[in-house]
Parts: sequence; C-alpha cells; structure tokens
Amino acid sequence: MTMQNTTLQLRKPRKNTTGNILFKMGLWLYAMISLYPIIWMLFYSLKTNEEIFVSNPFGFPTSFQWVNYARALSEYNVPKYFFNSVIVSLGTVSLTILISLMFSYATSRMHWRGQHFARLFVSLGMFIPVQSILIPLAVLVKNLHLSNNYLTLILPYTAFNIAFSSMVFYGFLRSIPIELEEAAFLDGAGIFTTFFKIIVPNLKPAISTLIIFTFLQAWNEFPIALILITDNALKTLPLGLLFFQGQFTTDWGAMGAAMIIASFPTVVLYIFFSNQVEKAMTIGGAIK
Amino acid sequence: MKRYFANKKAIAVFVAPALLLFLIMVFYPLTQMFVKSFYAWNGLSTGKFIGLDNYIRLFDDTVFQTSIKNGLIFSLFITVFQISIATVLAIAVSNIKIKGRNFFRIAYFLPVVLSITVVCQLWLSVFNSEYGMLNRLFELLHMDYAQDWLSDRHKSIYVIAFVNAWQYMGYHFALLLAGIKSIPKDYYEAAQIDGASTVEAHRKVTLPLLSETYKFCLILSVTGGLNAFTNMYIMTGGGPGTSTYTLTYMMYSSAFRAYEYGYGMSAAAFLVIECLIATLVINKLVARERITY
Repeated sequence: MTMQNTTLQLRKPRKNTTGNILFKMGLWLYAMISLYPIIWMLFYSLKTNEEIFVSNPFGFPTSFQWVNYARALSEYNVPKYFFNSVIVSLGTVSLTILISLMFSYATSRMHWRGQHFARLFVSLGMFIPVQSILIPLAVLVKNLHLSNNYLTLILPYTAFNIAFSSMVFYGFLRSIPIELEEAAFLDGAGIFTTFFKIIVPNLKPAISTLIIFTFLQAWNEFPIALILITDNALKTLPLGLLFFQGQFTTDWGAMGAAMIIASFPTVVLYIFFSNQVEKAMTIGGAIK
Repeated sequence: MKRYFANKKAIAVFVAPALLLFLIMVFYPLTQMFVKSFYAWNGLSTGKFIGLDNYIRLFDDTVFQTSIKNGLIFSLFITVFQISIATVLAIAVSNIKIKGRNFFRIAYFLPVVLSITVVCQLWLSVFNSEYGMLNRLFELLHMDYAQDWLSDRHKSIYVIAFVNAWQYMGYHFALLLAGIKSIPKDYYEAAQIDGASTVEAHRKVTLPLLSETYKFCLILSVTGGLNAFTNMYIMTGGGPGTSTYTLTYMMYSSAFRAYEYGYGMSAAAFLVIECLIATLVINKLVARERITY
C-alpha cells in the first residue's frame, strides 16, 4: 500500500488477502485471454509451417520469416485490398463529416419550416439495423448502376453514418455561443464564410472524434461490402482476406502476415491515441 | 441576423445532401423491405403480391425457428459475458491502486479495433481441430478436451458467440469505465465512512448511477446478438447443416442463394420488429429500476 492511502488504511486495514490476489490474477488472466490470441497470430505470421504445425506452435519465432509478409503482399492481393480500404475509408470519412456538419448546422442554427422534423427523420438511421435492409440496398445499387466503383461503398457507408454524426455535431453546436456568428456577420461575412471560417474550426474536437469513429467503422465494415462488391479489384480488406472461404488454406504464415498488415493501421492508431479512440468509440454512450 | 439564418439557398445547400442520401440509401430500402415482404419476388421483376404468404411460410419453417433460437442464445450469451466481465474489469481498472492500469485498459480494448474478418479467422485458427492453439494446449496439458469445435450442431453457436463476446467485451468495458470515472469521488468516500465494503460501495453507488450506461450496453449487445451475421458467415457458413443460422443469415441465404428475395425480406422485417421490441423492453425495465433507487 502506498503512502497517500494511509488515512484510508487507518480506518480500514487492507492486506494482500487471498481474495485480493485471486482478483489480481483474474485481471491478468483476462488480459492474457484478450491479448495472447493476437500475439499468437503475430508469432505465426513470422514462422515456417514446420514451426507452426510441429515444433513450436506457441512460442516466439526462432527465426523471423519475413518471406511470409513478402508472399502476403505479392500473392494474395493485399496491397490492392489495402489501397481500396484506404480510399473507401477516407472517402467515407470526408463525405460523412462534411455532410453531417452542414446538416447539423442547418438544423440547429438556421430557421426554416420542418427543421425539427428533418433532424428527427434522419436520426431514425441510428435505430435501423444495417443488416435488415441489405437486400433492397443491393437491388437499389444495381438499378442505379452504381455497382463496382468506389462510390458503391462510400455512399451507403456515408448514408448510414450521417444519423449518428449529425446528432453528435448537433449537441456540440448548441454549446457554441451565437455571438461568434453575429460578430462575423457584422464584419460583413456571408453564411458560407462564417460556417467554414468560424463554426468548423470551433468544432475541431468533435470533428476529430468523429473522424476516428467513422474511420474505424468504414475500415472494418463487412456485411455491406459483402453484398455490394463482386469485383475482386474493388474488394476492401475485410472482404479480400477471407482465406477460409472457398479453399482451405495451409499457408498460415502468409495468412497471418496478411491479417497483421490489415490490422496495422487501426492497432497503431489505437496504441498511439488510445484515449481519443476510446472516447470516439464510446461517444454514443455519453450522448444517450 | 435573421437574414443570414433564413438564407434559403444556404439551407438548401446544407440540408439537401444529407436528406437525399438518407432518403435514397436508407429510408427507401427500409420501406422496400416491408413492402416486398408481401411479395413473391426474385429481385428482378416487380414481383407478385401474395399477402401474408411469406409470413405464414416463415412460421412453419424449421430454419426460421432455429434462427430465432440462435439469435436469442447469441444475444443472451454475449450480453451476460460482456456486461458481467466488463463490470468487474472496469471497476478494477478505475481503482487507482491497481498497478498497470494503462496496460490492462489497452489489453482489454484492443480486440475492438480489429476487423471482424481478422478476429473470426484468428479464432478459426485457434479452434482448428488439427493445428489449432486450443487443441494443442489441451494436448500439452494432457487434458481430454480436444475436439472439432465448430462441427458440433449444439456447441458451435456458443463457440461463435464466444468469439463475438471476446471481440466486443472491451467496448462495454470502455463505456462502463468512462461512466465510473464520471461519478464524483465523494460518493465513495461517503459510502466508506458509512462502513460499506468496496464491493458494497460499488453495488450501492456505481451500479445505480450507471443505469443509463447499462441501458446503452444492454441495447447494444442484445440487438447486436439478434442481428448476428458476420461471425457465422465467416466461421461456419451457417452450418453444420443450418444449426448456426440467424435471421440475418436466413435472409442472406434466401435472397442471394435461393433468389427468394420476398421471403428473405419477411425474415428481415421480423428482425427489425424483434430489435424494436427488445429496445423498448430494455428502456422500460432499466427505467423502472432507476425509480426504485
């Protein structure tokens, strides 16, 4: 026990009781359950098949098989899928942020008939399970001849994210004093200038939170991509990496390497910005 | 000032993209889903109105019954697993006396940021009957539990649910941890002065004050479980047989494998209603508990 806690200790002496030790072991045990499978995957991405299957299934690789990574990159289309994921995620993030910002500004600040109805209508989007409308969405995309380009995914992803991000922006906008805009108008600025020069910079914290949230959503999305993308050249990583679908793979080394490459951006983002990522991911809980 | 905020052109420019995109990509498909669930439709022509036939067929379909049951099992399993473990871990990590809190936080949350494809395939390799980590571990420990984890008709749904629970436990953990941090410290000090033990203090202070967070967690995990699809799509393909079908999976296979779009939509419509009921029930139940406190 540390010194600061002496006052509490006087009242309630606490030792390393068996219960306490068991509790701490529980914390470590779950940390192992949570982390070891990922580490195990990292290990086998660097091993030979002989090591994975026979001599060393659990431990640290005896010699790093970077050749697995070379194979993942050259034989399994990973760079292509990676590039597609980057385009789709960045497209979704920019479009979602821009559209939601404009929409929430119009519904919170400006005056027009039906503004409350429009806001509530769009917020319906949060209660519709994506899975339930997959079939009509697929038919729609086909009829609109939207199939097989990047917009095939960017538009639905954006449409599904608007509800949530508009709600978040709406909350933030209400906390910005209206005097800021009044001053700008008096200086002769128009509404668009005011929006981009005054409002957008003031919403930076909300914007960065939503960039992280939307990026993670888009980067990892699976069901919509599965239904809408048939062209192999347009597959994003979650779709392209389906090694266990179709043929049975025995090339665990390259498969592990491909999965590590695919996880790299989000894991690095999380390790470096863990507070921001957790805040972004859990912002829904704070708003309800 | 009014002149600026009532600028019609600006309003149109600001509102149109969001409204149009939402109308076309979300709302229109939603109405189509309900409308076409009353049609015999193969996705190409306009289809034929058949009234309630799809729904009547649905309730006689044994695959539908399996799907409903699996949705409930999946929901219950992940809800209990995630929320109970997340509660204990969040309370532990919020305690400043625990060493390595940052490490624990990252360890528990990391699976959340992985793609579901990566997680499913990672666990497929863990559960692999010949080379998987789990069976090898049992072998190493001379325990007799080694088996083909995903080919048992009764067990595989739990195995898949575990994988989902493993991935998203950290999400609930982070939600609860953020909630606990927002509770003023005085509450705990007061409880301590009253002679409450740590466990008691958390039961009397933390849990009631976090009822809003718990409501959110419950809605998320229950509807997430009812909607489950990707986990079974990647890990079992709905099998063995149809034993790991869920409503979404059933919808997917009726539409894209049997080309019975209308029938698939009736399953989807049922799913939407199921999720709606679950959300309403949770809202009611949790609200009532707050009043007693």
